[in-house]
Amino acid sequence: MDHSTRITRRALCGGMAAAGLLAGLVPGLPVSRAAAQSYPQRNFRVIIPTGQGGGAERLARAFDDAWSKLLNQQFEYTFHPGAAGQIGYELFVKQREADGYNLLFGNMGPEMIMYAVQKPDYRFPEDFVYFSRTDIDDSCIFVRNDSPYKDLKSVVEAAKKNPVNVAVSRIPHPASIGMLALGEATGSTYNLIPYGGGNPTYVAVMNGEADVGALPITGVLSLSSQFRVLGVFNRENIFAGITDNAPTVNGAFGTSIPDLYSSRAWAVHSSWADANPEDFALLERTSREAHASDAFRDAFVKTGSPVESLKYGDRQVCTEYALAMLDLAKRYEPVLSAQR
Amino acid sequence: MGWDSALLLSLAVDAVMLTWIVVPAVLLGILVGAIPGFSAQNTLIILLPLTLAMDINMALAFMVSLYCATHLGGGIPAILVNMPGTGGAAATTLDGYQMTLKGKAQQALVLCFVASTIGGLVTSIATVALLPFLAQVGMYLRSVEMVAVMVFGLVLIAAIAADDPLKGIIAGFFGLMIGAIGTDHIYGTPRAAFGFLELYDGVPLVPALIGLFAISEAFSMMERSTIVPRSAVVDSRAHWADTLEGLRLSLKYWWLTIWTSFVGLLIGVVPGAGASIASFVAYQQARMFSKTPDEFGKGFAPGVVAPEAANNGVTSGTLVPLMAIGVPGGSTAAVMMVVLQYHGIVLGPRLFIESPEIAYGIFFSMTLSYIVMLFTILPLARYMSQVVLIPTRILVPLILSLTIVGAFANREYVFDMGLALVFGVIGYIARKTNYHVTAILIGIILGPLFEQYLLRSLRIGQGDLTILFSSTIGNVLWAFVVLSVLLPWLRSRQQERHRRAERENPAALTGDQPR
Repeated sequence: MDHSTRITRRALCGGMAAAGLLAGLVPGLPVSRAAAQSYPQRNFRVIIPTGQGGGAERLARAFDDAWSKLLNQQFEYTFHPGAAGQIGYELFVKQREADGYNLLFGNMGPEMIMYAVQKPDYRFPEDFVYFSRTDIDDSCIFVRNDSPYKDLKSVVEAAKKNPVNVAVSRIPHPASIGMLALGEATGSTYNLIPYGGGNPTYVAVMNGEADVGALPITGVLSLSSQFRVLGVFNRENIFAGITDNAPTVNGAFGTSIPDLYSSRAWAVHSSWADANPEDFALLERTSREAHASDAFRDAFVKTGSPVESLKYGDRQVCTEYALAMLDLAKRYEPVLSAQR
Repeated sequence: MGWDSALLLSLAVDAVMLTWIVVPAVLLGILVGAIPGFSAQNTLIILLPLTLAMDINMALAFMVSLYCATHLGGGIPAILVNMPGTGGAAATTLDGYQMTLKGKAQQALVLCFVASTIGGLVTSIATVALLPFLAQVGMYLRSVEMVAVMVFGLVLIAAIAADDPLKGIIAGFFGLMIGAIGTDHIYGTPRAAFGFLELYDGVPLVPALIGLFAISEAFSMMERSTIVPRSAVVDSRAHWADTLEGLRLSLKYWWLTIWTSFVGLLIGVVPGAGASIASFVAYQQARMFSKTPDEFGKGFAPGVVAPEAANNGVTSGTLVPLMAIGVPGGSTAAVMMVVLQYHGIVLGPRLFIESPEIAYGIFFSMTLSYIVMLFTILPLARYMSQVVLIPTRILVPLILSLTIVGAFANREYVFDMGLALVFGVIGYIARKTNYHVTAILIGIILGPLFEQYLLRSLRIGQGDLTILFSSTIGNVLWAFVVLSVLLPWLRSRQQERHRRAERENPAALTGDQPR
């Protein structure tokens, strides 16, 4: 979308009148290139398994700015939060037609952990397949700017004496696994407090209800006036320049915790992808082009998120990541679920 | 930010220049608010492509006006037909509908409109002046304090069921049980969902609200020819005098309007709290401080003023965390956040330095929308009140069809339509057996929130119950909770003693001492 576009009163009224007239007079009017191709011929319906106004929606809308131009179709979103994403996925698999027009924009990390822990009534990758990763969002440990904790070591030292309260989005989440793994490796104890989403987790750390927070890093960086990042669960901190050279957890403690990051990706029904290889290839190709476009990057930067996190991944990359996350979740399943 | 008179003047002028978009937004908002199941949040999502294409100031004026108007609109059906348009108007039914049954629908509507607009106006102006302070409120109301706030609301169950405490407690517990359905707040494990995917996220408020109030009321209406009893039909005819009487009552309760709107503002500042809680807490507080608490629930004007002022106070409050720290205070604010970020507006403290015209412009738009609302809707009270004279054979099918659509519209699940009907039957049985449907609803609304804050607090305290009494603000709130239980009871005992003394020795009280 051209952001310089401005609607005036006259243009708005005139445009609406003209659109109404056009719709009334010429139903089903074909649009430029859309007429020349068999797919896609109508708008896409996207399920986002989290609430509106969150990082997923902002990223999806920034992405469709570029993608809709390449596909000549618009994207319509519905939000189905709850049960750690399970509701959105179950709806997508069971109630949305496998026609290539129904997509899902999910967060592969936490949602594959949910899949492993809650054992829902659908199958990956038999029922759906991720085919276009948009970003890599490293899990990080952060504190508010005036926190007494100056670095990772001071947090771990404190957690060796008494359990430290850590605000997390959900218990079944890569960042939560990171804290549990850190505790296991260093003999420190963390009391995970789930807040059900990024926004309330930020507030909990801001108001001191929790000493520390563990979340994906891009959202934390968009609130850099409030927070300091102490460490990152990855082999490299790609945001070193804007996190005051925060170390990696493995680098600070010599641990071997696997890379823990969230990755948002577009998904489609596997049955449709397998039955319509050409159309699916079009989706893959255009999503790759959209990812590389300046339109997407510009829109993404406007959300306050760092462009370094944008990393494209195709179907194979997505599937490998999702299966690796499944294995990790199974390892920590007793502590991620209500099993004791 | 230092106050710059030139900036203020330009913001005021900009706001006035946007009147052309504020007026349709207000009218749409009132309509959306008045139809149960339709909400500002869903309407804004549908209109998102339009608002994303608009100029940012125009988009914000439109969104804010629509949002504020929905809160006012929710009170209209609550008063006229006992079906709250929004969760925030559920408390309005307690006295609003009773006024309608007494033939005072027009007065109740005027009270609702004036309390809503004045409450919204005062809090939007106060927000501009107190923004730095208000931004800190969310920092002090944490899980522990919110447990006490939730108990405030739950205490209302006892208050509204004062005539039959046992039935009140049973209804309240029934609501709490329904509120416990859905995934637990710690591990996300489904509870009592019976395999229904649609219940994994808990019992949705909209179908419950629609069923308990609107559908059950429609069932009750089938038993009579008009909403109001025959004795009140003459009183229900439209007279300008009723509008003036409503205005007089609004002036009489001006202080109640102000302070309950601030209750709404403070609760609105806490992310995730919302209008439903604010209106119930305000109603409960108004009753607590009233000299005649027994009048509440019988068609008492303050029972309309308090919840309406509070739920409109929430509108300013919910935008404070969005503006000040970049975290939305509610679902509608979250949609606004998408639009702001799409336009590259950086939220949080830097907003007031980099884009003060945006930060303060929102509240100027809000102020303008409330002024527009007051002047557009107040004269309509006279005509709206005539709804109560429409025969129920016409009204009931209309209500049922609108509410069933409303039940579907919120989440677009056919399941929700069935759920609304189930709650309709529950509500109807509750009415027939003198159980309070509001008590059930309070349980449904506050139960999950109470559980969430309580579990979180206990987890923070690592199982130590004394954490609930570990904060000064929390302890002050607990003291208020105790007061709110004891004060009406002490007052009624005092009145009883006074009445007994009057009966035993009337001369002593009139000053006629025997010589």
